[in-house]
Amino acid sequence: MRPAAESNEFRRDLVSVLPKLRRFAMTLTRNAADADDLVQEVCERAITRNHLWNGEGRLESWIYAMTRNLWIDEIRKRKVRTGGGTVDASEQDELSIEASGEKAVYANQLQKMILSMPEGLASVFLLVNVEGHSYREAADILKIPIGTVMSRLSTARMRLAAMITETTERRA
Amino acid sequence: MQNTKGLALEVRLSAYIDGEVNEAERKELEQLVARDDEARLVLEMLKAGNAFGNKAFEEFLHDPVPLSLVRRIKQGPGVNPKSERVVNAAPRQARLRLWPRALAASIALLLVGGSTGFIIGKTGNDGVAPVDMAAARTWLDDIADYHRIYSRQTAEHLVEVPAGNTKIESWLASSVGVNFALPDLSDKGLTFEGARLLVAAGKPVAQLMYKDEDGDVFAICFLKSRPGTTDGKMTESMRDDIAMISWQKAGAAYVVVGPSADANLQQLADAVSATI
Repeated sequence: MRPAAESNEFRRDLVSVLPKLRRFAMTLTRNAADADDLVQEVCERAITRNHLWNGEGRLESWIYAMTRNLWIDEIRKRKVRTGGGTVDASEQDELSIEASGEKAVYANQLQKMILSMPEGLASVFLLVNVEGHSYREAADILKIPIGTVMSRLSTARMRLAAMITETTERRA
Repeated sequence: MQNTKGLALEVRLSAYIDGEVNEAERKELEQLVARDDEARLVLEMLKAGNAFGNKAFEEFLHDPVPLSLVRRIKQGPGVNPKSERVVNAAPRQARLRLWPRALAASIALLLVGGSTGFIIGKTGNDGVAPVDMAAARTWLDDIADYHRIYSRQTAEHLVEVPAGNTKIESWLASSVGVNFALPDLSDKGLTFEGARLLVAAGKPVAQLMYKDEDGDVFAICFLKSRPGTTDGKMTESMRDDIAMISWQKAGAAYVVVGPSADANLQQLADAVSATI
């Protein structure tokens, strides 16, 4: 185990990335309640396994990868519970979990629009365009091929551009 | 660098935007955009999508994070964050409605009708004009901004009037219109450093600054207000790395501000509320 001081420093670092971690979790779960539960689980796991963090690169990348893995596990469990089999969610182009729509309470309409995109698009866009991860890093975090990163990213951008039009037309 | 040859145009141009294509492809795509209207339109749409998405994702960071989760991380096991989900996000309600409208209004200026239904106008940078986001700020937003700046100042610039000045209480009471007693928080490990007079939401605000043994800065801020229905009820919120606990009492609004990583802010707020 790491010395206590180092562990405290890790906890502080973890706290500092919480807003970003929650945002990333939202792109996976597409609703706040699941995102908060996921973030909690990730933090617990990260703390108990902080000795595995080598301090190199971005802490977010390590945490994000853990978040993605836990969410895939959760999807798998839900599929089993609902009799949907055990298909690996990461192998699907369009995952079957629907955004919660009217049931979800998002902080604002834009967030809702973002999270209404098909699963996988928002995560890639966030990692590459917003947080500046390379295609390789995004692919490693999400455990998808770089080609999928590229196609999802361009699709996300075009959908976001279309949202501008939708927003404008709604106002007109 | 990626080889994008043979892929769809939007995929190639998307990679071009990210600088993920090699030099030869970069030149090829630049020439294509220069001579082909459709390619240019796709590129502008991708850029517009970027700008729209960036703004939207920025909003996520303003959401409060469950304070209890922060405490759990700080303290270790023993607290159940599920009992306290995301804390009050009330200050953002008005922004919720104004944001899309402001954005849509700005973006509308960029849209020009065309054969494809719309064409996104050419801009100098990322495709979307700057959007005025100043709306629905509360005094707590201002306090958070102040704290973020002042808490990083060196000791000599931390406060306006240093501790030891016997006129601090009378000066702030008359300036803000709230009588108070300077809280002694030494039993909480905090040393009073001094005070400032701020302006938040257009009103004078008293700010009392404290430091703990690690050098972390804590502040108590208060201003005059009308007694509300939430008298005495404490509300926790978080602004990135800053945690805040606010309440109203006897015609004044108070907030205790500290690092989000601090696990004892609630006890501190309780102590302040009881003594100030």
